[in-house]
Amino acid sequence: MLAIELVIQGIVQGAIYALIALGLVLVYGLLRILHVAHAALYTLGAYIGVIIVNQGGHIIVATAVAMVAVGFVGVGIYRFAYKPLLDKPPLIALIASIGLFIAAEEIYRIIFGAYGMSFVQPPLQQQIELFKGFHLSTARISVVFLSILFIGVLAWLAASTRTGIAWRATVSDAGMAASFGVNIEKVRFINFFIGSALAALAGVMVALLNNLVEPTMGAVPAYKALAIIVLGGLGSVRGTLVASIALGIIESFGTIYLGHIMDRDAIAFTFLIIVLMIRPQGLLTRR
Amino acid sequence: MTKLSKTLSLAVLMALSLPFAAFADSIKIGFNAPLTGFAAADGNSARVGAELAVEQVNSAGGIGGKQIELVIYDDQASPKESAPLAVKLITQDNVAAGISGSYSGATRAAATIYQENSVPYISAYAVHPDITRAGDYVFRTSFVGEVQGRAGAKLIGEMMGHKRVVMITLNNDFGKSLANGFREKAADFSIEIVNEYEYSIKDREFGAIVSKTKSDEPDAIYASGYFFTAGPLVRQLRAAGIEMPVIGQEGYDSQKFIEIAGPDAEGVIITTSLDRDSADAVTQEFISGFEAKAGYPSDMVAASAHTAVLVMADALARAADDSAAALREAIAGASVMASTGQISFNALGEVQKDVQIQIVKDGNWRHYAVISDTDLLAPPAE
Repeated sequence: MLAIELVIQGIVQGAIYALIALGLVLVYGLLRILHVAHAALYTLGAYIGVIIVNQGGHIIVATAVAMVAVGFVGVGIYRFAYKPLLDKPPLIALIASIGLFIAAEEIYRIIFGAYGMSFVQPPLQQQIELFKGFHLSTARISVVFLSILFIGVLAWLAASTRTGIAWRATVSDAGMAASFGVNIEKVRFINFFIGSALAALAGVMVALLNNLVEPTMGAVPAYKALAIIVLGGLGSVRGTLVASIALGIIESFGTIYLGHIMDRDAIAFTFLIIVLMIRPQGLLTRR
Repeated sequence: MTKLSKTLSLAVLMALSLPFAAFADSIKIGFNAPLTGFAAADGNSARVGAELAVEQVNSAGGIGGKQIELVIYDDQASPKESAPLAVKLITQDNVAAGISGSYSGATRAAATIYQENSVPYISAYAVHPDITRAGDYVFRTSFVGEVQGRAGAKLIGEMMGHKRVVMITLNNDFGKSLANGFREKAADFSIEIVNEYEYSIKDREFGAIVSKTKSDEPDAIYASGYFFTAGPLVRQLRAAGIEMPVIGQEGYDSQKFIEIAGPDAEGVIITTSLDRDSADAVTQEFISGFEAKAGYPSDMVAASAHTAVLVMADALARAADDSAAALREAIAGASVMASTGQISFNALGEVQKDVQIQIVKDGNWRHYAVISDTDLLAPPAE
């Protein structure tokens, strides 16, 4: 019974990782940029969500506004930070990204205060008894449900719509796609918009789980999402999803049974090292 | 010499002596705290607490007619920052003494430098045992973790009468030293430690620990942490239907904890330094003064920084002369009523004072009990 509970807790955590890592893998697939500042968008989404709810907005409205607003900020980051650097080596964009991330943390601190923010009346806190003695809050269930929903919609978009086909064509060969009339710039805008909106969703969800939004809450996802996309085989969306859930579950068990030897991050990175030793190409990718 | 040249040379002399006069009118105290970065919330609270103490001392006439002046630097809670800042404070700002409003890592690094230069240094709330071991010029006005851990064992085992305890331990120097103190005395109060889980300061998500704790079925939970980890932890424990008492420590001691944990904070009990319901005038003036100055209710770090400044001011007033050695002597002999109680030091420079027990009631920290058992609370002496 305990094992089932730990698996479920791991899936909740994994779903959050998946939402954050997806945006990162989308950007990497398209531009070969390690978008560290992505984690700052996750924080921004959380702040917007909490502020709107505290102003009397409904949680659904707050989530939607956070996703759209952060989506546009993501597009702005591409347009003003990455685009001018595209013809430079990817390392330059990575440094710019790290700089943006650090600056964002301090900006949040100056604007929103160092103490962080909480919901005055946190929504979605009703408890649901999944099975005897095992309670999950509505927020936890929503995390998993919304992740499946949005990732499902995304998969459908990529597989069955013109935009999705244009996106996949751009990922595999941007020059070729352009010569077939695909508007590459538009594809990149959509890419950043969707990735950033998902990060904002993750941010609002985490705010609901912890009731605490801090300027530095992006610090852990910033490097853990990088580990996840490496684990998934850089650029593989399906690999990233599997890696997210796997990492969530491994951390869940690891915290209990290995917690006195190493902390959660150490467990995650040990797992990463072991996987890379056995499968250097990532969990799912074929060599 | 003509009258004119006499007047001129007098004017030059006066001009030259002006900066020295300004220097002599104030006594500088160095203050390092994390004003940016992850610990900025605590650092800024500590800064406001220290500034409040300085204002109170200065408005009461200062030290023998001289005003105290804080020289404040941001150490980002990092030893890489605090060490060079300590050098700068001592050699360039010529401070008479230093106070740390920072965490253990930064405080340890600075303490060594203050000791090497024979300048007195007080750690306001950093808990690492090695800080005062830097030497005889270093003091601490807060409890080391072990002392508070022992108080926690007495509170749970004897005063509350709970015997089966799960420990949830923050795996840094603060949490580990608390856990050591708790384990050391657990058997004395017939506490059985059912299990112990560790988490890192970056964790806010405790799903797995919550599930396992529930299956352990303890009578009480002894959880170390800061308000930003304990708030989410308590909320998640209660959301999983875990109703047993949660006992924490001074790391929880902030209104922000109650804000994060919301109604789930009710009934949480902590060991700390600040008694909100103290009848003592110094404490009450601190509590009202802090809220007026900061715009939010007082917390443990602010009270600790406030206490450290008051202890320093008292020693400056009592010091036999202006030398650092005389100031050190005066601090070592302190017996001061401050915002966190009656303060005196042992041979190592560790504080000897009562442990306050506070409980969350109707959304506020309130008095629950006090532990004054000097044997139980004896700080390390070497």
